Amino acid sequence: MIQYRFGVEGDLTAPSDDRLTVGDPRVIDFLGKLARKLLAPAVARRHPELGSLGFFLRPAELHRAVEHMQHDNALVFPRGNVFHIPPANVDTIFVYSWALSALAGNHNVVRISERSATAAETILTALNEVLADADPVIARTQRMITYGRDDKVTAALSQWADLRVIWGGDSAVEAIRKHPLRPSARDLTFPDRTSWAALSADGWRAADPAQRRAAVLGFTNDSYWFDQAACSSPRTVFLVGDDTNDVREEFVTLLLETVGQRGWEIDAAMAVEKRVNAYGMAATGAISAMEFPANSVTAMSLITVPDAPRRWIGAGAFPFAQVSSLLELVPAMNRQDQTFSHFGFSHEQLREFALALGGRGVDRIVPFGSALTFGSLWDGYDLPREFTRLTTLVE
Amino acid sequence: MSVFTLPQAAKEEVLLKELSALTEHHRENCEPYARILAASGYQPASSVAGLPWLPVRLFKNLELKSIPDDEVYKVLTSSGTTGAEVSKIYLDKAAAAEQTRKLGATVQSVLGPKRLPMILVDTKAMLKDRKSFSARGAGVLGMSNFGRNHVWALDNEGHVDVEALKGFLEQYGDEPFLIFGFTYLVWLHLYEVARDNGLDLSNGILIHSGGWKKLIDQAVSPEEFRARLSGVGLTKVHNYYGMIEQIGTIFLEGPTGGSLYCPDFADVVIRDPETWEEQPVGKPGLIEVISTLPTSYPGHVLLTEDQGVVHGVDDGDWPGKRFSVLGRLPRAEARGCSDTYREAA
Repeated sequence: MIQYRFGVEGDLTAPSDDRLTVGDPRVIDFLGKLARKLLAPAVARRHPELGSLGFFLRPAELHRAVEHMQHDNALVFPRGNVFHIPPANVDTIFVYSWALSALAGNHNVVRISERSATAAETILTALNEVLADADPVIARTQRMITYGRDDKVTAALSQWADLRVIWGGDSAVEAIRKHPLRPSARDLTFPDRTSWAALSADGWRAADPAQRRAAVLGFTNDSYWFDQAACSSPRTVFLVGDDTNDVREEFVTLLLETVGQRGWEIDAAMAVEKRVNAYGMAATGAISAMEFPANSVTAMSLITVPDAPRRWIGAGAFPFAQVSSLLELVPAMNRQDQTFSHFGFSHEQLREFALALGGRGVDRIVPFGSALTFGSLWDGYDLPREFTRLTTLVE
Repeated sequence: MSVFTLPQAAKEEVLLKELSALTEHHRENCEPYARILAASGYQPASSVAGLPWLPVRLFKNLELKSIPDDEVYKVLTSSGTTGAEVSKIYLDKAAAAEQTRKLGATVQSVLGPKRLPMILVDTKAMLKDRKSFSARGAGVLGMSNFGRNHVWALDNEGHVDVEALKGFLEQYGDEPFLIFGFTYLVWLHLYEVARDNGLDLSNGILIHSGGWKKLIDQAVSPEEFRARLSGVGLTKVHNYYGMIEQIGTIFLEGPTGGSLYCPDFADVVIRDPETWEEQPVGKPGLIEVISTLPTSYPGHVLLTEDQGVVHGVDDGDWPGKRFSVLGRLPRAEARGCSDTYREAA
């Protein structure tokens, strides 16, 4: 059973005579109005994460993205039909993914999870409100649907698509890939990822108290927003330098304070989850110490860098490991690693680290507080480019 | 003969000594346990509530035992609701014998020393079902040792075998007899059938267990369960709480109902899920179960994911703490972008 959430109901895979262009004014108009709705104070208060989405969809940003889609040596066109399968629980991803694709002029079908949360409902309401005044081509070419376990629908949309965008981790990618695409089509996949944080002990010591607080606030948002389970939420914190115990101690103290002030709540079930994971890591010899100063923060001492866990171990669970330099981390990084949040390093140190990684792991190196900030460069992909196709014309 | 004899202070004195020794024993013989204690900065405890506890779910993730492989006599497994997660409990000969003995002594506290004729409120067919066997089957089989001349209340299709029940009552109904079953099966299949067929259960002693969830869904509270059973003459009713991770230890409802009691070799600590300190009487929290029986694996002090509350100490049917189980803690779920797409088509 297909539930239509946005756009014209009916056959999703029927051929269409509608044509959108890259940066189609009707789409820009629509997204701009959506941005205004999401930036309205009442919405932003209830769902602060929609504020950053609204910011991302402002006309100036959209024009920048369209400009970026242009190519010096080719004509740029929409890729065609795009089938999006966003994750269930990160409410805003489906909009980023869809909006960039719509901006590229594609016909889109977005599968919204049955388990989507309230922010997703708010977005859908806003989308439909804007739709009332929009050019009817939007409703005909942009559709969002919800359906349960129905392989037939997934299979049909996979045959329809020129590009299939699969978020939601390894298991989602594997499950969806069972449905073949047409030979000319391809997948854009977002598998399981791990993200890290690194703190320069020298940089921390050189920072003034206000800078330290700001860093911890940013780190707190990065970590706690999606229960530390977003692919870009940092898990292990690498303390870079010598004798870093004082830095860790102050960092944890500030973290406890900040989490308390921000009112992030960790319930009993999550506290137990974290204990189970921490005790498990102690039992297997991955950590030498674990501290539970409050339910909100679990701090662990890793014995070696390669033992840093790549799976989710609960909201507010932080293994710490000391290394003497960023370069020491290079061998431990791999393709699964996505975001590397940093504080207190020089431009040269970060650049040296990135060059040493050589693209073998880590797609984003961003300061504390920016880990969750979605960009059109994501997971190593240039999304606007992925959503378009190129025609060469030689005269 | 009863195992519900020690007032709280006396019990804690005994337990602290025995459990501290057991903690040392497991530390010396179970390396993962020793690592956990080291990582948590373990110091010897000065009270029962101060003993180091393990989250019960660790037995689903890890192989924890304090005996060499060649002394493993029995491996018990519990099927979790997810199927994939199974607790593994390792017993040597001594621990297996001791848990049977202590379980026997506990139920004999209410049954008396003799084996009684027994109604099993279940179906024999369930023993053949490999999937549900481990939890339900082990419970039924374990308890069936305490009775004789067993009759199954349900036939192979799961329908009530009224004729078998009538025959049993004709033969044994004038003397005390034992009834055992899971709470919701007793409610669905025994209570209603006894009421509708006028079965006389007044000499029965019911021991029942299993979550209340299915009954709460039908709006049947523990109090109403008791009251309604008493309506068909069944007044000796004992609920119990126990888990495979502390096999042999059950917390048994007292004769007047409403509270579970701890046998002399076991105890509970209700913990505040914020501070993790012991809650005062009347304040709900997470149930920690404590028992001297786990000698072959470090399961002597376990934090469950059940919520409970202590109603009183040394003020009920039997000495010690009396408490209730309030329900299960929901499982923590992440909001993240990976591993969340379980409904993937």
